[in-house]
Amino acid sequence: MTIALSCQGLARSFGGVQAVKGVSLSLPAGQVTALVGPNGAGKTTVFNLITGNLRADEGSATLHGKPIMGLKPWQVARAGVARSFQDLRLFQHMSVRDNVLAATEPAGWFWQPGGASARREREAKADAAIQAAGLSAVADARAVDLAYAERKFLSMARILAAEANVWLLDEPASGLDLSSRERFQGLLHHARAQGVAICLIEHNLDVVMALADRIAFLDRGQVLAEGEPQAIMRDPKLAAIYFGDRQ
Amino acid sequence: MIAYLSNLATLAAIFGLLAATLNFMVGQAGIFSVAHAVFMGLGAYAGAQVALLVVPNPLLACLAAAVVAGGLSLCLALPALRVRGEYFVAASLGLQMMAVTLFTEAKPLTGGMGGLVGIPRPSLFGVVIPVLPMALIALVLFLVLMSAMQRGSFGRTLGAIRDAESAAEALGKNVAVAKALAVAFSAAGAGVAGALFALHLSFVNVESFTLEQSVLVMAMLIVGGTGTLLGPLLGAVLLLSLPAALSFLPFIPPTEIGSVQQIIYGGAMALLMIFRPAGLLGDQKRGRSEA
Repeated sequence: MTIALSCQGLARSFGGVQAVKGVSLSLPAGQVTALVGPNGAGKTTVFNLITGNLRADEGSATLHGKPIMGLKPWQVARAGVARSFQDLRLFQHMSVRDNVLAATEPAGWFWQPGGASARREREAKADAAIQAAGLSAVADARAVDLAYAERKFLSMARILAAEANVWLLDEPASGLDLSSRERFQGLLHHARAQGVAICLIEHNLDVVMALADRIAFLDRGQVLAEGEPQAIMRDPKLAAIYFGDRQ
Repeated sequence: MIAYLSNLATLAAIFGLLAATLNFMVGQAGIFSVAHAVFMGLGAYAGAQVALLVVPNPLLACLAAAVVAGGLSLCLALPALRVRGEYFVAASLGLQMMAVTLFTEAKPLTGGMGGLVGIPRPSLFGVVIPVLPMALIALVLFLVLMSAMQRGSFGRTLGAIRDAESAAEALGKNVAVAKALAVAFSAAGAGVAGALFALHLSFVNVESFTLEQSVLVMAMLIVGGTGTLLGPLLGAVLLLSLPAALSFLPFIPPTEIGSVQQIIYGGAMALLMIFRPAGLLGDQKRGRSEA
């Protein structure tokens, strides 16, 4: 089992609140790891620490053995880590196609390297991602004009086009109806088969059970348990914490 | 009359270029600056000094203006671009105030309050040429460049930064570099407009580069419509023509033109914000969704 991304002893506090304390996590290639826990457990903060959106007080992270802690978010992204946001953060006034094309064009200069052939490749990659996400019919629509589920899939299409080998997905299936959820699960199954290491923050336990190979249960900034989904979800103590029935 | 109209057209082309380059920063990259007149001033002084001390070659003057304004914008923008939104507006306001003081005090370079006078008429190969065709060529050149960038990957990068900066970073975009490039390009354009302005008037002083000028250029942009190619031009033509048009109305006494102009500006802006919030040529859907 190849570990794509690994973090050790991540810690971060905000003022007097210790949001994350000593979180260690390994994301194997070709597996889905679900980060589960009640609201405020520190799940999104862990993502922000890995991607460089927040600076860790302590801890380290490596991507394929190379340290990524201290890198800027764009450097982490170019190293091969893609993430989605709970609030999607689409490029609202750009078309679906431009949203996805932007994910294939990391260079921030006046032009992208590689000339016309590279441009055609990027366009083909974007079209393939749009098709895989089921957005071909709305490719020219602006993101702001899409329906909720389409916006969710646009967020996924950007990640598909970025061709990263680690995906950090923050509540990607929330608010999706059953058929959209199945389509979404299909996308993730396909990516997993391609060897992508996926880490998923999700409150919908049906989605978690359908997708996750492993679960890491977080509470109050700490990993309380990690292991097979069935074992974690059967643990009555964890269930009590998750459903707000802690003693 | 022809000279009067030619003067008006020259100023419209120069201010059209100013508004269009500000639009690149505001409409395309979402960087709200109220210091565009500073870069116009830097270009005007650079162009004027080239004409006064070296040769009144308009191409050389414009090139020097673009390099000075674009280059200095990088020094000024890189620290300021670390802040976003309204904080950048405040930083640019500070820059504007500081620049006016510097323009006033740096007498060997700017002539201080008295300004630089006697700037020779621009000439190429010994032939004196009017500023209007040069201003039109510069305007078209910048519009073509901006249009190409808008449709290409750089336009997408700026649009992504404007709409969701953190998501753009999460896709690998070096936001600081992209913003700095957008500011430098925009400032270089404003510098060229400044050089043409100095060559056109044969005189330049600090009063042309104050906060009022920056606000006027921003108003041209808002009236015409941000994020569009032709909106800023329309805004520039309208705001420059209004005082001239009012002076032709016989029933308004010349001493009252200023007051009438203010009333019309105020009323027009209020109506515009109600009925066309994205400006005359702007994307109304976008204007309303943001309003």
